[in-house]
Amino acid sequence: MSMYSRRSVLFGFGAAVGLASLPRHAFAALDGTPFTFLSDTEARSLALLCDTLIPQDDFPSASQAGVVDFIDLQLAGGYGRGERLYMDGPHPQGTPEQGYQSPLRPADLWREGLAAMQTVIGPLEGQPQSALDQLMTDLSEDRPALAGRVGAKTFFTELHALTNQGYFADPIYGGNKGYAGWHMVGFPGAFGYYTDTVDDHNRPYPQPPMGIGHQPGTSDFNSER
Amino acid sequence: MARRLAKTDVVIIGAGWTGLTAAYELAHAGKRCVVLERGSYRHDADDFAAPKEHDELKYAVHHAHMINTRKETLTFRNTASQQALPMRRLGSFLPGVGLGGAGIHWNGQLWRPLPSDLEMRSHYENRYGADFIPDDLNVQDWGVTYDELEPHFDFYEKICGTSGTAGQMADGPREGGNPFEGPRSADYPNPPMRQPIGPTKFDEAAHKLGYHPFPMPAANATKEYTNPYGAKLHPCTYCGFCERFGCGYYAKADPIICVYDQIKSHENFEIRYQAQVLRVEKAEDGKTATGVTYLTDAGEEVFQPADIVCMNAYGLWNTHLMLVSGLGKPYDPKTRTGTVGRNYAYQTMAGVNVFFDDQVVTNPFMGAGALGTVIDDFNGDNFDHSDLGFLGGGYIACTQTNGRPINYQPTPEGTPAWGADWKRAVRENYLHHASLTVHGSSMATPDNYLDLDPTWKDAYGRPLLRMTFNFPENDRRMADYVMGKAHEIARNMENVTSTSASNRAAEGSDYSIVPYQTTHNTGGTVMGTDPTTSVVNRFGQMWDHHNVFVFGAGLFPQNLGYNPTGPLMGVAYWTLEHIKNDYIANPRPLMDA
Ligand SMILES: Cc1cc2nc3c(=O)[nH]c(=O)nc-3n(C[C@H](O)[C@H](O)[C@H](O)COP(=O)(O)OP(=O)(O)OC[C@H]3O[C@@H](n4cnc5c(N)ncnc54)[C@H](O)[C@@H]3O)c2cc1C
Ligand code: SF4
Repeated sequence: MSMYSRRSVLFGFGAAVGLASLPRHAFAALDGTPFTFLSDTEARSLALLCDTLIPQDDFPSASQAGVVDFIDLQLAGGYGRGERLYMDGPHPQGTPEQGYQSPLRPADLWREGLAAMQTVIGPLEGQPQSALDQLMTDLSEDRPALAGRVGAKTFFTELHALTNQGYFADPIYGGNKGYAGWHMVGFPGAFGYYTDTVDDHNRPYPQPPMGIGHQPGTSDFNSER
Repeated sequence: MARRLAKTDVVIIGAGWTGLTAAYELAHAGKRCVVLERGSYRHDADDFAAPKEHDELKYAVHHAHMINTRKETLTFRNTASQQALPMRRLGSFLPGVGLGGAGIHWNGQLWRPLPSDLEMRSHYENRYGADFIPDDLNVQDWGVTYDELEPHFDFYEKICGTSGTAGQMADGPREGGNPFEGPRSADYPNPPMRQPIGPTKFDEAAHKLGYHPFPMPAANATKEYTNPYGAKLHPCTYCGFCERFGCGYYAKADPIICVYDQIKSHENFEIRYQAQVLRVEKAEDGKTATGVTYLTDAGEEVFQPADIVCMNAYGLWNTHLMLVSGLGKPYDPKTRTGTVGRNYAYQTMAGVNVFFDDQVVTNPFMGAGALGTVIDDFNGDNFDHSDLGFLGGGYIACTQTNGRPINYQPTPEGTPAWGADWKRAVRENYLHHASLTVHGSSMATPDNYLDLDPTWKDAYGRPLLRMTFNFPENDRRMADYVMGKAHEIARNMENVTSTSASNRAAEGSDYSIVPYQTTHNTGGTVMGTDPTTSVVNRFGQMWDHHNVFVFGAGLFPQNLGYNPTGPLMGVAYWTLEHIKNDYIANPRPLMDA
């Protein structure tokens, strides 16, 4: 279990750093909760990878929207344990059409994958963004051969899927902080009563997002910062 | 030794649409019915209520309503020369478990087959000549006709409170309906759904091109409605959490509210949960089954004897149960003999993404499982096939089923899959996009089939089902042709800035078990009139075990260009009618082999 708060780890601050010094769009929890599964180093590497997939623009980057927190909780939960994954061996390599065939539970796959990557390009921290972009392109094309048991493409597929989920899933799962992802596209959330508006053509729907936890969002996204 | 229970009249394997309907009909015919369901009890208001149910991650991504592959899955390969490997997590299709089966997380797109679909071989041979169907396609007639099934299609539409516009009534065609459909004895019980902007623009463009658009028939109710069993449905809220989710609004027809609630207190009805049927037991005489053996939650094996065994476990698992029980003769692709597992087929899915300019705001989150506008001009044999080099077809629909943002991220062609450009494209297009789907038929071939895997086992020690499947050339040509028509319509829609087409059955790409396509697996327990090419006769009765009746899309000899539940429920009511009116009084094979 790591010692530092999620925020301080991700942004390299001591636990006492105040709000003012955080970068714009820092939505992830500042509650001092330690990571559940990830080590601090893993969390920092992961933040770099996630932010390569979803970088900051007018809307938060992946890690700013809590995606690392989301993935941490997923890896500690049913997904990480492979609760809905048929694990029986043998585990011969298949074709892409045959899907996930790793002998590893996803939690182990992530741990080994994060470690294996650094044996290829060295520590991710301190790398220029162009190197991270190139690494991501390589992984998506099943290069380089990662040391150990994790295929580059398999790791990329899981990373890409979970980063995306963390940005757009209901905030009850730790990501999509401040409804960043839902604001970005204009998705109003978990409450759906559109009987009178479905054929009211071309009228933008003004409601701010609201999730399962009844935590209302604001209609002005920028005012949240 | 399994504990032996007292005999029941009927044992029913599975509590989905077909199983609960069998229980309803046979209990009312005076037969004591025991339903065995491997999953748990659940109910709409308690378990599917918003906002908790509106959890895309849990239900749409992590498949919380569907089977857990850890317990039961199958192995898959494209061709017999490969090693089949386990489908370790769900993807291409999403089988159900628990009360209501997959019928609680379906879309409700509710179709009837075309009359010619049911007599496919005869129809094509009559129209185009005896040599038209190539030898490498196992195209067969169903052994039952549209006219025989029509009353049952009509009844099931009423059970579901179906919304739609009729096209062919007894007194002639109706404006705004499907002019290609078979003759109907009644209109849909409810008016059609209200259409958003995307489908409306599709309607206009299709009209302009001389096609015949109509609202998709929907088991999503549009009014307060009471079905013939007494179930009450409420109007749909277009909540956009329909397919892959249960409906807590009582608006989507499902087997729990439409059937189970209306039979649950009947003295002839009993349901047992966490009852995993392991096999069907055969009598010494080799002509009947004696009942089924199942595993309870506590791990005890129990034998439930019965006079009649109804197999309602979904097509794939009915095939699996037959193979592990030694029921029927397994199909052997080398000799092309045997029938169980033969003619497995799927659905071809192609589509066109349509991107609008800023004037068009589609609000994709206002959706429903069966919301959309369709043309049927290129389905079945509704168009001239003489020079096309393929059989079959599909409907082209502009649907708006959901804007759930993990899975709904349409981006124009050429957009990268991640990074700054991807992010901008997602943001800019989410509210300005429509989907056209080409939902197409799939022909059976001698090389696509289901059997038992030699290596991997399920949690109960049984060999996994093994699926060998790839799209036949016929289907690839068909999907490509109909997709071209969809693309033409897309280009003719107003305010369109770009379009991009994709085809899951494209030339040069293999069928993949990974991306979701449809849970429309067909074949494996095919019906017909010839025991060398079918597992059950035209009444859904096994040729070699006359007290075993089989239900579901496993009966389809090949897949049609529609969603399967309307057709399979039509056949289910037909089978039940013959059990009630003929078989019960005099149990025997209802057809000579
Ligand atoms: C996401 C999705 C969308 C769909 N959309 C549509 C649509 O729009 N239109 C359409 O026509 N169809 C649609 N379908 C398909 C539709 O759901 C099925 O055709 C229909 O539910 C089949 O009913 P069934 O009774 O044959 O099987 P099921 O509903 O699968 O029921 C079978 C039941 O048997 C139980 N069972 C299986 N094996 C055993 C065993 N060994 N022991 C005990 N119990 C067992 C299962 O747990 C299950 O409850 C969709 C399906 C999915 C998953
Ligand atoms: S879209 Fe309509 S039918 Fe579907 S779940 Fe929502 S309210 Fe129910």
